[in-house]
Amino acid sequence: MRSALYAEWTKLRTTAGPFWLVVLAAVLTTALSAVAARAVSCAATGCGVDAPLVALTGVQLGQAVVAVLAVMVVGDEYRTGMIRTTLAATPSRAILLGAKSLVVAGATLAAAVPGVLGAWLAGRLIMPGRGFTAEHGYAPLSLTDGGTLRAFAGSALYLTLVALLSLGIAAAVRDAPTGVGVVLGVLYMAPILVAVVSDPDWVRRLRQIMPSDAGTAILHTVDLPSLPIGPWPGLGVLALWSAGALLLGGLLLRLRDA
Amino acid sequence: MEATIEVNGLRKAYGSTVALDGMTFTVTPGRVTAFVGPNGAGKSTTMRVVLGLDRVDAGTALVGGRPYRSLRTPLRHVGALLDASALHPARSGRDHLLWQAHSQGLPGQRVDEVLTLTGLADVGRRRAGGYSLGMRQRLGVAGALLGDPPVLMLDEPFNGLDPEGIRWMRGFLRALAAEGRAVLVSSHLMSELQDTAGHLVVVGRGKVVADTSVADLIAAASSDRVTLRTTARTEAMTALARVGATVAVTERDTLTVDGLPADRVVTVLSEAGVPFSEIAAHRATLEEAYMELTRDAVEFRATEVAR
Amino acid sequence: MIGLVRAELTKFRSVRGWLVGCGIAVVLMVLLAVVAAAGTDARVGGPGARAELPRASDGTPVLDGFTFLQQPLAGDGTLTVRVASLTGVALRPPTPDEPVPTEREEATPEPWAKAGLIIKDGTTPGSPYAAVMVTGSHGVRLQHDFIHDLAGPADARWLRLVRRGGTVTAYASTDGAAWTTVGSAPLATGEMSAGIFVATPPHQEYEQFVGGTSVVGGGAIATGTFDNLTGPGGDWTMVDVGADDSPNRPEGTSTRTGDTFVLRGGGDIAPVDGGTGPKLEQTLSGGFLALTVLAVLGVLFVTTEYRRGMVRTTFAATPSRVRVLAAKSVVLGGVTFAVGLVAATAALLVGTAIRGDNAYPADALTQVRIVVGTAALIAVATVLALAIGTILRRGAGAVAAVVVLITLPYILSAAAVLPAATADWVLRITPAAAFAVQQTVPEWPQVDQAYTPAFGFFPLPAWGGFAVLCAWTALALAIAAALLRRRDA
Repeated sequence: MRSALYAEWTKLRTTAGPFWLVVLAAVLTTALSAVAARAVSCAATGCGVDAPLVALTGVQLGQAVVAVLAVMVVGDEYRTGMIRTTLAATPSRAILLGAKSLVVAGATLAAAVPGVLGAWLAGRLIMPGRGFTAEHGYAPLSLTDGGTLRAFAGSALYLTLVALLSLGIAAAVRDAPTGVGVVLGVLYMAPILVAVVSDPDWVRRLRQIMPSDAGTAILHTVDLPSLPIGPWPGLGVLALWSAGALLLGGLLLRLRDA
Repeated sequence: MEATIEVNGLRKAYGSTVALDGMTFTVTPGRVTAFVGPNGAGKSTTMRVVLGLDRVDAGTALVGGRPYRSLRTPLRHVGALLDASALHPARSGRDHLLWQAHSQGLPGQRVDEVLTLTGLADVGRRRAGGYSLGMRQRLGVAGALLGDPPVLMLDEPFNGLDPEGIRWMRGFLRALAAEGRAVLVSSHLMSELQDTAGHLVVVGRGKVVADTSVADLIAAASSDRVTLRTTARTEAMTALARVGATVAVTERDTLTVDGLPADRVVTVLSEAGVPFSEIAAHRATLEEAYMELTRDAVEFRATEVAR
Repeated sequence: MIGLVRAELTKFRSVRGWLVGCGIAVVLMVLLAVVAAAGTDARVGGPGARAELPRASDGTPVLDGFTFLQQPLAGDGTLTVRVASLTGVALRPPTPDEPVPTEREEATPEPWAKAGLIIKDGTTPGSPYAAVMVTGSHGVRLQHDFIHDLAGPADARWLRLVRRGGTVTAYASTDGAAWTTVGSAPLATGEMSAGIFVATPPHQEYEQFVGGTSVVGGGAIATGTFDNLTGPGGDWTMVDVGADDSPNRPEGTSTRTGDTFVLRGGGDIAPVDGGTGPKLEQTLSGGFLALTVLAVLGVLFVTTEYRRGMVRTTFAATPSRVRVLAAKSVVLGGVTFAVGLVAATAALLVGTAIRGDNAYPADALTQVRIVVGTAALIAVATVLALAIGTILRRGAGAVAAVVVLITLPYILSAAAVLPAATADWVLRITPAAAFAVQQTVPEWPQVDQAYTPAFGFFPLPAWGGFAVLCAWTALALAIAAALLRRRDA
């Protein structure tokens, strides 16, 4: 396992693509967050805005880049045919997928941590100018605040789980563009379904089981009881999706000819 | 561990197309085994099965007595070159070897050793996407040698090599076998392996057609045929026909003699006082012997194109 | 060029996976239509609206409830009144603690609170009418058939309605002496009811926060004080029009002190806005998934050529690379338009079959527009994917770029993640503007509503939004063509 991990890490760092995707994910996460922080405003006390949630809007964009990164880790090998060299070097499919998961998780965290910190900084610097002041009941975003810390640390975990979900799907479909399409379809379908379906019971159920909706519960800091699912259980639902995708990908990797 | 590849009764079908139909052979150490057969005979599929890449419907493939997927550091047991172009074009050749070395717990300096061994030391840091096919073949061989394995398996290693490269590859393969390794080399062009292979596994339509030493195969394919150059054509024909040989005229002063060994031809002509300037015993080429064997096993045969 | 198009068409249809992809796009779209239809329990007009709303002449569902002090009017006649004052009281929305709505302190009328003269064909909700009125903050208006609204002077307080044959003409005046014509409206002849009325839409507060929008609605009561009233003659009788249909509405009252009449009540005479209820385009929401699937095909259509070096064969066969790009675009656009048309038609039919007519009505032309528009949106988006795939030459990045460009702005805006003002410009400049082709619900100037993306209202008109997507695609194709020419194959 250790040597497989080392090999995957060598692969990841010896092409330029992953590095730039990590940079892009961090930059886009911060950038969209800054735009969102600039766009909201709070006119008076009780404006009902979840400030950390606004500052984390960029996660919606960052997850697309992270998905591309994870999908390419598998998809590129199939594209070039290198997967056969890889499987010849590491015949155990489970060890291979495990090693890839760890490397992808590491790379995602390397993107998510600066991205999320950037988002926090953007929120902290920009939002007070938009009316999120002490008079309106908003302290500056602080990572020592329990809820805020959970939202920001949780969003890094959210991105990591999205990457693992993408990795599993990529191993199952064996083609990078298709993999990205499936991942983004699954992630972005939830908000559209929720917008279309009006039956509140349905909406609630959908938001409990769809990976992006349940997973982003971790980004919320206010009015948690009204959420269809709690922050940590929500992240757990996403983790189940990721585990399921990896399991499926691993199983197909075992059963199919390379 | 012993240096062998044992393939036993492999069967595999893609839908109604039978790719492997009871493929059975053993590769033993100390010699180059040529794995030959026409395109589509099942050579690459067999190699992929040996490497645990493809699954089979029946049969086993063992490397040193163990299935490939059970090996923890397989590149130390088997080195393989399947598809030389199967690399990431943006990664340098050295990095391509580096990750493979890391996957086997091998140090980075081993990468530089095999790069030197295969003559790639100067280009190792260039992106592999810019390599010529010949350089990629060398890189693939370098990858196969990384773990210093007792068993080597190379699929069409001569593809894309220039004459110098072909010469190098032949010598290299012979040297590897001389070190006591088992070397399996596939090719669809017999002539490439003429002076290299000691043993032959000829396949067609998913099974072994012949499993023999090169010397035996050539002996079996060569018949008593002597080429004779003489100015006294008629006298020579008469003298040889008298002792029961079949004689045919091929050129103005050249005859081919069937049914008599060369030394008998010399004796008969000398006794009859027929002058001759040149006499040569014919030996079948490996290519001819091979064509003979696989005549029925070729899946796709070129047909004459009517114009 | 025709040969080239045929060559590309052959390439497309000879890859089985791509044909399967087209099938998947159709299936996903229909599937989402089924989910959307089955998961709908809302009604047009919002929760609590009755099943059969009265309709305007063109089928628009309308509200028709007001406090009406009326006399019969057999033929021609003239009504005049001065609206001395129009005030309003907003009711707090009922809470679990206070189930009975309580009045707030403020006494400003709703912007579209109405007090004025009306001639109406009976007192049944939905019957034809013509009315001239003073409003809370929109001046004097002439309205008829619910959907027609004409502005008059802003500060006039004197109103007059003159009925001559099949036409009603409205006048307004600041002093009761000098009259200006507001306009005229058609109204059938025959005996009708004529008199003064008061109505006010409920008080609503829209709150758009990150992650959702809430509409907090409470009732409202308007009070109109009238004097100098002259009518056709006869007894004044009060009717609380439409009260039977909306039991929660504040009860209408009318009091007379000398020549001063005070009417008080709620209700409204206006079209129902389509934002909160079920909309026909919801059956086409799977368009986004179909688009994602087909965008993957669009990207693969070019990147697979680079993958195996096939692009060299292609360019050897056709040295003009721009023509290859054009042929690919034509084939891809044509095929995906056809697929989109099949998918959208099937989705609309299936969705309608399940939900019946429980959606804001859209005429045949609108239905054709959203189906064809969705197909065109999918086709152009797929060509955009092709162009981005050509530019990036990397399939995964290209798919992500297309989905993020088209879908993410739509999601962030429609799912109300972004504040309304930001969502508004996002849906003007990003390719997501093209989703405007799916909008069926009209914006009514005479109805206050949050006309924001979250409620299905797009800032650009249908084909204007589509043009934004086309502009992006044209730009991407131009860049792709320039790069194709410059780069080595």
